[in-house]
Amino acid sequence: MVFVNWLLNRSFLSLVVLFCSGLVQAEIAVVLNSGEGTVSLIDKASMTETRRINVGKEPHHLMATPDDKFLIVANAASNDLVFLDPLTGEVKRRVDKISDPYQIGFSPDKKWFVSVSIRLDRVDIYNGSDFSLVKRIETPKAPSHVAFSPDSSLAFITLQDSDEIAAIDLKTQTVKWKVKVGRMPAGVWVTADEKYLLVGMTGADYVEVVDWRTQKTVKKISTGKGAHNFLAVGDGRRVFVSNRVSNTVNIIDQSTLAVVDTIPITGGPDCMEITKDGKQLWVTSRWAKKVTVVDLATKKIVKEIPVGKSPHGIYFFTHAARK
Amino acid sequence: MIEWITNSFAALQDRVFETAILPLVYATGLGGYAEQAFDWTEIFLIGAIEILLLAIFLGALEKWRPLESHTNSGEKKIDVIYTLINRLGLVPLAIFLLLLPLVDGLDGWMRMQNIIPPKLEDALPFLHDSPFLSFVFYLVILDFVAYWLHRGQHQINVWWALHSLHHSQQQMTFWSDNRNHLVDVVVIDIAFALVALLIGVAPAQFVTLVVAGRVVESLSHANLRVSFGRIGEYLLVSPRFHRVHHAIGLGHEGRSRGCNFAVLFPIWDVLFRTANFENVYPATGVRDQLEGRDYGGGFWAQQVLGVKRMGEALQSPRL
Repeated sequence: MVFVNWLLNRSFLSLVVLFCSGLVQAEIAVVLNSGEGTVSLIDKASMTETRRINVGKEPHHLMATPDDKFLIVANAASNDLVFLDPLTGEVKRRVDKISDPYQIGFSPDKKWFVSVSIRLDRVDIYNGSDFSLVKRIETPKAPSHVAFSPDSSLAFITLQDSDEIAAIDLKTQTVKWKVKVGRMPAGVWVTADEKYLLVGMTGADYVEVVDWRTQKTVKKISTGKGAHNFLAVGDGRRVFVSNRVSNTVNIIDQSTLAVVDTIPITGGPDCMEITKDGKQLWVTSRWAKKVTVVDLATKKIVKEIPVGKSPHGIYFFTHAARK
Repeated sequence: MIEWITNSFAALQDRVFETAILPLVYATGLGGYAEQAFDWTEIFLIGAIEILLLAIFLGALEKWRPLESHTNSGEKKIDVIYTLINRLGLVPLAIFLLLLPLVDGLDGWMRMQNIIPPKLEDALPFLHDSPFLSFVFYLVILDFVAYWLHRGQHQINVWWALHSLHHSQQQMTFWSDNRNHLVDVVVIDIAFALVALLIGVAPAQFVTLVVAGRVVESLSHANLRVSFGRIGEYLLVSPRFHRVHHAIGLGHEGRSRGCNFAVLFPIWDVLFRTANFENVYPATGVRDQLEGRDYGGGFWAQQVLGVKRMGEALQSPRL
């Protein structure tokens, strides 16, 4: 009985502590400074950097684990993954021997963890639960970004320097097909209706729409120069694309496959994140050591937050839906 | 103050990159190299600022208290050319483009054998948390490698045939550090690239390491009567320490083919018994120059003569 009381008290105490910490816990934005191997932790409310922590060499991209318990930072030049607490940014653990992880992604069924090595022309397929290597695949030049077919059978990889998209069969871990696209394909996005791939042509000024089942280009959507990466607006209909050279972000309607809006940004917009209420877009300005915050109602820049060198990936724990 | 400097530099780099370099990169169809071009913009700007500061401070010191008065201004002009093409990134860019397929090819092949090159942090995990300590460790290791490469430049005849160009400057100034044969530079850079690959130096770290080294190297070649004192001489290569290395009769002759090979930290010369701490400032150059050997009066002449000397050395029984 004494033990039960103790346990109840302890649980109650834990709940109180948890509740209070939740009250005082400021929400953070996590930004990867790829050029200096650090992570900027930004207080979202005041839009100021509160801490900068060392994480590894060349952290470019980041993503949450499927259970949202951790935030994975891929350190390309350190050949490792660092797991952060997504609420505090605290380093929790490090997974070594992940070869040159540039872009990363879990298949929707969580079975596979795919890591793309842009420098070494390799795509690694790891077991999604323990990060053990299943297969390392040689690819043509500069595999850049990754997306998955909704049934988790295919991983779509953009090949930046050979102007192609490759589809890797995840079951057999082989390249199933390759298709030629425009110049320097980088970001790749599966449309909400699951019919098409949107591919950002960083070497040109459009987004190429590819029917991945027939491997045919069905449309080229004019955007801005240096079309690069994608993020869902969160309404299941629209998607952002960043244009790194023209310094704009376009909004594309996924059902009509047309640009519906343009937002001016400065300093080479790259990766993006959106607040849960859909009111603010945060963009890393790659060439300017800052994160640009845009009010989506007015399309005006409300704040430019100084961060570290060459900011790339960005993440909020609470964000708009990814569709 | 440091924050102001770094932010101002970042703004300058962004401006130069977005208004001049990025449009050029895209116009020439090299958009895939935008990120590398951004890094090279940094190298170029750091080099330009570094040269400007060195010219202002060391140039003024050399004018104010020169160790020796120089009669041939042409010699200095050649060294200025070497410095500009090296430190503004032209030669490093050419070598980088030459070495990139080699290093990445080797690295990529290793990955297919399931070998991931090690990094210092694997053995010393605490370095993950301290970029400063990490920087110091890498600097010391690379300087140790530089010491042995430098000994190789003096002890291997074929290599000395090239490296002697660096020692042929008889009117040393802070500009003289970059007077090197291009083949010599390629060999050294290949060695460094391989070492960097083996110990896991990230490219961004490499830039900082190179810049830190270059300032000391310029100072060590300056035409100044400067010694760092009894203790300081053991800690950092001084103009006095390095001048002895360039001295005819002391710096590149004898059993070890010279003394004071260290680039940054004299401790290597102490450990391997090649240090000379005599407080002297002898004449510099190569002995055969006194016998009339010509090392060339211009950049291209020096490069051609270097290749010729290398050819002669290859034909001699002792390589």
